[in-house]
Amino acid sequence: MLSVLERNGARVSAVNAPAAALGLAPGMPLADARAIHPALAVASADPDGDAQGLRRLALWCQRYSPLTRIDAPDGVSIDIAGCAHLFGGEEALMADLADRLHGFGLTARLALAPTLGAAWALARYGETEMTRAAPGETGERLAPLPVAALRIEAETARALARLGLDRIGLLAGKPRAPLAGRFGPLLVLRLDQALGREGERFDPVEAAPVHRIARNFAEPVVTLEAIAEVAARLVGELAEMLQGLGKAARRLELALYRVDGWREALELRITRPSNDAAHLLRLLGERLDRLRDHAGFGFEAAVLSAFEVERAEAVQAALSGRERVVPPPGDLDRLLDRLVNRFGPERVCRFAPRESHVPERACHPVSALAQAVRHDWAAHCRALHGGAALARPPLLFERPEPVEVLVEMPDKPPARFEWRRTAHRIVRAEGPERIAPEWWAGGEANRLTRDYYRVEDTDGRRFWLFREGLYDRPGDTVRWFVHGLFA
Amino acid sequence: MRDGKILAALRARMAAGGLDEGAAWPAVGLDAGADAQGAVLPGGLASGALHELQPATPADIGAATGFALGLAARLLARRPGPLLWGLPSTRGWREGRLYPVGLAAFGIDPDRLIQVEVKKTADLLWSLEEALDHPSLAVVVGLLPEGDRLYDFTASRRLAMRAARHGATVLLLGAAPVFDMATAASTRWSIAASASRPVPHAGQAVPGLGPPRWQARLVKSRKGLLDAWDLEWNHDTLSFRLAAPLADRAPLRRAGPLAPRSTAA
Repeated sequence: MLSVLERNGARVSAVNAPAAALGLAPGMPLADARAIHPALAVASADPDGDAQGLRRLALWCQRYSPLTRIDAPDGVSIDIAGCAHLFGGEEALMADLADRLHGFGLTARLALAPTLGAAWALARYGETEMTRAAPGETGERLAPLPVAALRIEAETARALARLGLDRIGLLAGKPRAPLAGRFGPLLVLRLDQALGREGERFDPVEAAPVHRIARNFAEPVVTLEAIAEVAARLVGELAEMLQGLGKAARRLELALYRVDGWREALELRITRPSNDAAHLLRLLGERLDRLRDHAGFGFEAAVLSAFEVERAEAVQAALSGRERVVPPPGDLDRLLDRLVNRFGPERVCRFAPRESHVPERACHPVSALAQAVRHDWAAHCRALHGGAALARPPLLFERPEPVEVLVEMPDKPPARFEWRRTAHRIVRAEGPERIAPEWWAGGEANRLTRDYYRVEDTDGRRFWLFREGLYDRPGDTVRWFVHGLFA
Repeated sequence: MRDGKILAALRARMAAGGLDEGAAWPAVGLDAGADAQGAVLPGGLASGALHELQPATPADIGAATGFALGLAARLLARRPGPLLWGLPSTRGWREGRLYPVGLAAFGIDPDRLIQVEVKKTADLLWSLEEALDHPSLAVVVGLLPEGDRLYDFTASRRLAMRAARHGATVLLLGAAPVFDMATAASTRWSIAASASRPVPHAGQAVPGLGPPRWQARLVKSRKGLLDAWDLEWNHDTLSFRLAAPLADRAPLRRAGPLAPRSTAA
């Protein structure tokens, strides 16, 4: 039995079958439950873990259909329209699902019905653990179920029960308007949805792929080589299909289903939509290594899905010889794909200017996967510092490093400074270049004015120093930093 | 008999320019300034090859980076395509990170810059090799982590051969003077900062900074020629030029272009 701590003490949140037989029910105070049966084994509930597990289960259920969704807190819906024949019909699909769930040690109640609402109701309130409602008999099957099976609020269900309307069958024939007026629009909506008079949106746990190729294996696949072989075949088929349609995919996912219900997914994001089997496979191959320690008892099924499918651009065959450097189109994208897939999108970047005078904010990294954009850096530099070529250093410290300085006169560059335990005597200097704080951005660092100096020491090393704060402004603490290194 | 023929053929190929040199890619002149007084590295810097750069002392990292960027700028002017800047994530904290806005001094369009940050040296070498395999890259710059032991002759040879295949040039920048073994690099440079030409400012106690100046020592070259030059970066023509020696007060000037530097700084 599971308990959960609520505002007014611990309550029972879930019971197993023997506990239910003792008359214990979710919602009762834990103390009462202990009074009924002192030898109760109680574990504390883990709602977050449950939610995660449910999500995993919903993803795993994608082996039956790409459209699965979580019915929090305890259910998963699968839209099997058009999928059942792949598993030998609806009966066989349910049997297979029940078998596997039982194999994972899960006690599951399954229902198959023409509407989401009906399936939800039959799975939770149906008489048997496995219910199947054929089209046309929905109303008949729902009639004997309690109104709580309609996914309505507990308050509404209680109010209905007080009026003696405790079965769905009693509601079905009632006029709509008074029901809606008395109990709110949700009741009528749910009733209509369950009976198929009203449509219902199905929000899948993951967007449905555009193309999908699935394989079930006769024997669980354990070795990396075998997995790679399977991946190669799936990618080959998908590429052929895409090429036939004149399409190319920007995102692929290879999902592998392990015997014990674990689902491993490898996702590929590609700079330019591709339908080149060799390229896709090479990208995927670099990721397969991740599965080495995850194979366990082996994978029993694989699904390759293509998302974000676009029309393929006509790619001209490369004619580049060894002498003339004419990179084939898309060559750079391929390189970026490989780097991104190996190191992650945040480690491969380009840079974009940003409208800020504060040096560390004047540009920012952008993902290399994004479409390459031309930026007007010259205009950006002109706006920053009048376009003087040497005004900014090629190396910048992310955090300016504090230095000890000897300043002979305020508003003059320092005569010497000590940085990293080395003293530098300044023999050349330019500045100051005043950079006003971006006070609107907030934070202590944005409060003080900075005066930047380019300086050179006796050894010819060039630094970018700045003074934070003004000597003659009360309340300013004056500190010096080195912010960058010049060439 | 057959062996003799093969040997003769090999000799002929050796005579024709070496066994391992791939297609000859045009060399990039290091010295394009009008005020040059002599050639820097006669024949120029081979493109489509591997070059190693190291700061003369750890404190010269700014100078070495500048020299690398200067070379990259000259190579980028010759060849379309982006510049790949690969660095291990351990680097960049001590010596600063590449600042795209500051690349204006080298005439490098920051849009042509792609930065790859990796965790391990092995990954760094992998990404450099991978980049060189793609003909769309113009220049590949790799920053080796401090105290690296993974970069060796084999690694350098792999890089050099891949660079020769498509003509992209690879510049390897050590964090400290790390290159002390034999490698397949075409050249190895040791770069030290050098006092810039003072720009007098009226009413100021100290003069202003001139263009960046470095002491570039060629410590290894496949052509066998070793020398040192005082180079100045000309940001208007985007070229190196031989720096006129500073004739001013003694404290700014070191003993001579080839004098060993004190490492105490």
